[in-house]
Amino acid sequence: MQFKDQTIQQTAQSWRRKLKDYGWGLAFILPAIAVFCVFLWTPIVKGIFYSFMNVDFVKGNSFVGFDNYRDIFASSMLAKSVLNTLYYMLLCILIGFWVPSIVSIAVSELRWFKGAMRLIVYLPNIVPAVVLYGMWQWLYDPLGPANQIISWFGSQQILWLTDKSMAMISIVIAETWQSFGTAALIYLAGIVSIPKDLYEAAEMDGAGVLQRIRYITIPGIRHLYILLFILQLIGTSQGFLTHMALTGGGPNNATLTYMYQIINEAFTNLNYGRASAMGVLMFIVLASLSIIMYSIQGRSRQA
Amino acid sequence: MKIEERSILSSFDYKKKSVWIGYTIMLLALAALAVTMLYPFGTTIFSSFKTRAEIFTFPPSFLPQQLEWTNYKEGLQYVNLAKGFANTFLLFAGNAVFSLIIIGLASFSLSQMKLPVRKGFILFFMSTLMIPSATYLIPNFLNLKSLGLIDSYWAFWLPAAANAFNIMLLKSFFDGIHKELFDAARIDGASEVRCFFQMAIPLSIPVFSTLLIFAFTSTWNDWYWPSLVLTTQDKYPIASMVYRNIIESSIISWNIKFSVLTIIMIPPLVFFLIFQKNIMHGLNLSGIKG
Repeated sequence: MQFKDQTIQQTAQSWRRKLKDYGWGLAFILPAIAVFCVFLWTPIVKGIFYSFMNVDFVKGNSFVGFDNYRDIFASSMLAKSVLNTLYYMLLCILIGFWVPSIVSIAVSELRWFKGAMRLIVYLPNIVPAVVLYGMWQWLYDPLGPANQIISWFGSQQILWLTDKSMAMISIVIAETWQSFGTAALIYLAGIVSIPKDLYEAAEMDGAGVLQRIRYITIPGIRHLYILLFILQLIGTSQGFLTHMALTGGGPNNATLTYMYQIINEAFTNLNYGRASAMGVLMFIVLASLSIIMYSIQGRSRQA
Repeated sequence: MKIEERSILSSFDYKKKSVWIGYTIMLLALAALAVTMLYPFGTTIFSSFKTRAEIFTFPPSFLPQQLEWTNYKEGLQYVNLAKGFANTFLLFAGNAVFSLIIIGLASFSLSQMKLPVRKGFILFFMSTLMIPSATYLIPNFLNLKSLGLIDSYWAFWLPAAANAFNIMLLKSFFDGIHKELFDAARIDGASEVRCFFQMAIPLSIPVFSTLLIFAFTSTWNDWYWPSLVLTTQDKYPIASMVYRNIIESSIISWNIKFSVLTIIMIPPLVFFLIFQKNIMHGLNLSGIKG
């Protein structure tokens, strides 16, 4: 009897001590946990539930099984929007990915105006998105500055935003103009941190300038290339805002991305269940892609 | 002998003709780049001073013939600028206060305090980074709707703290502060609350200012999400207001549009030029941490 009391007392004591030890730490972390649960984890989990439901604000939600998914795969918009998104991602890599690294190598070689150039390259980032849209709508106007500039080179007028084959390219150019400064500055920080002795030693051994860039600078910022490439893929796979503002998904759905289609399903067709299901599909694709990426990276590190 | 600063090129390289030519081409290309970067700014600002007739001439001119200040007067009829600025500021202030206190407390706890299953908590926060926002954009909207937060600023203030990236940034900063500092304070009888507010926060002003800058730019830029969540146009922040009334409008002429766009472009530019150092520092931080 006495023995039992003692153990109870002991456990109570140890609990009290634990609370004393951990109490404040838990109290400090609790608000964040609450916020994450309510505003992040709830939507994530609910999204999976919604994807199996017909969401109706008036009559209430009803379970529909895999109907949403079946509808998505049956719709002709899926292939269109997926292909557009892939095309958009490809263009962002072709037009936008290599620009910042070359610019940053060039800027790192400047002897004067280095600070000014850094500032100028980053400046478009400061422009609020809405101003960006206004600017480029005007630049791309059939009678606007972009056509004026290409007319100097004797080129025909281009319908930047209303030509089916040009619209996506125009969007990517506008976005690259705005956002490549961030990447350029990240590369620049990497280039600056490469030890200068390496160049000295290479030069002694008779390496030319291009060889020095190819065998020292680029390998020196290789990790940044991989990082920014992955970040860009994740970012562009979800892009839709510029498309919405500049072309509204047109002409003839040529700039309708997957994410834009999700928005359309939800807020135009009011089919929230199907929109949630498309979101879940997106997650599955991106998650499996990143698993593949990591395993390839792991293998190349071993080799 | 003085050791000269060098980069990829050494002073010896400049004596070679091929390098010299290449360098000149590079300079020209950079100059062209600088012009392309600055040109849209120029057209936006200068076009805001043009008359309607001047805007529609082809080929378009770069500089206006005279300064047409009435454009600004007319532009301000389409947006309630004072209201928009006030709303944006209110959103920003709330976001900053909530996210800094909640995120600050949590990352301090994760980094400097006794905590059971620390790894579990870190996983709980960080795994949200793996989930693309596309997945929960629509459910998030429905969730806010069922919480009754639609058309309320609480729908921005509270979720502002649900940002794992900021927790990671702040935690890694707190990790760099010596534990002994806080242990000494605790032995001297300081409570944890005091440790946080009187030691951790003053020590981490640089990181906090970086986070504030991030918060400012995102509040100033974001137009889509506010226009979904807020249903009363009177509550719109400036970006949504301008998108709805200026960008989407097809009747307002370009010189008037540009006057409004110039006005909302100026504050972030000034803000950037003032806080340039902190912003660049923050960029480097985010680049290293990825």
